[in-house]
Amino acid sequence: MATLRRALVATDYGTSSERAVEMAAAEAGTSHALEEHGGEVRLRLRAPSLPALFDEAARAVAELMCDGGGSLGEPVPVDVRAPDREALLAAWIDELLFLSETRKRVWTQTRVERVTDTELHAVVRGIEPVALRTQIKAATLHDLRVLERRPGEFEATLVLDV
Amino acid sequence: MALELKRVGEVLWELDRTYRADMRVPVRLVADESLLDQVRRDRSLEQLVNVATLPGITRWAMGMPDMHEGYGFPVGGVAATRWPEGVISPGGIGFDINCGVRLLATDMRRADVGSLERLVHELSRSIPTGYGRHGRIMLSDVEIDRVLTEGCAYVVRERGLGREEDLEHIESTGSLTDASAACVSERAKQRGRDQLGTLGGGNHFLEVQVVDAVYDPAAALAMGLREGDLTVLLHTGSRGLGHQVCTDHVRVMDAAHRRYGIELPDRQLACAPLGSKEGRDYFGAMCAAANFAWANRQVLTQTVRDAFVRILGPSTRLRVIYDVAHNIAKIETLAGERVCVHRKGATRAFGPSSTDLPAACRGIGQPVFIPGSMGTASFVMVGRDASSDVSFGSACHGAGRALSRTAAKHRVAGSALRRELEAAGIVVRCASNEELAEEAPLAYKDVERVVDVVARAGIAGKVARLRPLGVLKG
Repeated sequence: MATLRRALVATDYGTSSERAVEMAAAEAGTSHALEEHGGEVRLRLRAPSLPALFDEAARAVAELMCDGGGSLGEPVPVDVRAPDREALLAAWIDELLFLSETRKRVWTQTRVERVTDTELHAVVRGIEPVALRTQIKAATLHDLRVLERRPGEFEATLVLDV
Repeated sequence: MALELKRVGEVLWELDRTYRADMRVPVRLVADESLLDQVRRDRSLEQLVNVATLPGITRWAMGMPDMHEGYGFPVGGVAATRWPEGVISPGGIGFDINCGVRLLATDMRRADVGSLERLVHELSRSIPTGYGRHGRIMLSDVEIDRVLTEGCAYVVRERGLGREEDLEHIESTGSLTDASAACVSERAKQRGRDQLGTLGGGNHFLEVQVVDAVYDPAAALAMGLREGDLTVLLHTGSRGLGHQVCTDHVRVMDAAHRRYGIELPDRQLACAPLGSKEGRDYFGAMCAAANFAWANRQVLTQTVRDAFVRILGPSTRLRVIYDVAHNIAKIETLAGERVCVHRKGATRAFGPSSTDLPAACRGIGQPVFIPGSMGTASFVMVGRDASSDVSFGSACHGAGRALSRTAAKHRVAGSALRRELEAAGIVVRCASNEELAEEAPLAYKDVERVVDVVARAGIAGKVARLRPLGVLKG
């Protein structure tokens, strides 16, 4: 996590320290962690709002894919639909993976501007990484959960096929 | 309720269907006590129980000795559903449709070739590896449809990438006739357009090996393998095109399964009856993606041949020994009944009496390749007739993961592993030490034990062992 945050800092703000960004993330209440899974990657995500949760999922995916670095490309609008909130999270990640493969970019900066239980609109910007690290094939529907534990506390679990 | 497995054979275990009310058939697992103990450490048995609930499943849900936790199906899971009322589930095949293994044999002896450094370097220079890397071929709309429809035959006959005799040594001759390019989305085609001839990432690899032991001389002779021969093992699949096909059709079936009255214990098991529009569309798209994967391994074969010729001389020849799929669904006949056999991380292992084998393999059984982990041996086996009754004509597909990727990285230093492999005389090409650690031998089960259990179960027999000399990691 820190590696990409460092890279993002260098890319976006130039002088901010990694610690400052991590503190900002902690204040914002967003985080992600990799949990044990026998063969794949299981992500645990937390955020104070649904848009922040979806942004955090994108950030986790970008971190898995590369170390960051490089200049950001032009903003790309992204619109996704799905039958429910859980499927929307998987569809959002799948859309980013599709765009990564076809545009040869990793989406290190995302801004989810509007999200309901079935629709999402975001603007993403990506880098052309020197080397890609983990190949993520897709987001799965296995063990997929998006919960609002209490107001301002969202949590999700997402298993990625790698 | 505890998962109490009853021993029903020397290395065969069964969980009765009364274990859970929604099970339609029992669960069976090929394992010895040690592998059973490893299987119990993750959630793969629970996932196999979920598979046993699928509508139309027949006999039992089968686990191979390399089984480990996946999503929906466990990796190393096999299930047969009755045609046409049973279901087909994209989760029972996986995102990397027709991920598989192809073995090539050279006419060169290890002793005739000096250092492999130049050869492995040339292979790494010639073959795009890792996520997002594109190949040298850019397919037009018409060309990609022909790859999807005709598979290997198109790249051999129309593009000149390979030889006619290669086709005889590929499962289903590298072309499934039920393929439908029309059922493959434009998005999937967009992803695959520049990916023919690429290895991809993850656990995909190319290994240069030597045959260092022969257990079944007659079968080895029939395949043309001799102790001391140099071989090449390729492991890759349908790349982004296959991933997108699975993603597209899981979504369709996730929306459709309730219309068919199907209740699922795991959403990734989304499915539809084989005879339904959703089922037929997915099957046509899956067959097309499988054709793409076989074409991909065919293009890679030609790239390997060219690299060998450049480094070892113009007389160097590489023959295709066989090519097997290990993420696929096929319509097969089982005891007179038409069924759809889902193999998720499992290899077809038809016995010597099968007519669905190339002439060279009739009488010995279908070749089955069991790659070990990096630095450990891989095995050539042949299917036995008993596999039809025991495991729907299937065997395992590898050693099987024992540690998660995260755990492997915590326990293995990639730099140290690289030094160890090099000290063992293995030339390694891998972009990062971190990725190397994910695929460390420690992260996998003992392949020798897995292979021995397969042989004891009577589903495939050992033919030869292949020792790695050079590894190009995807």
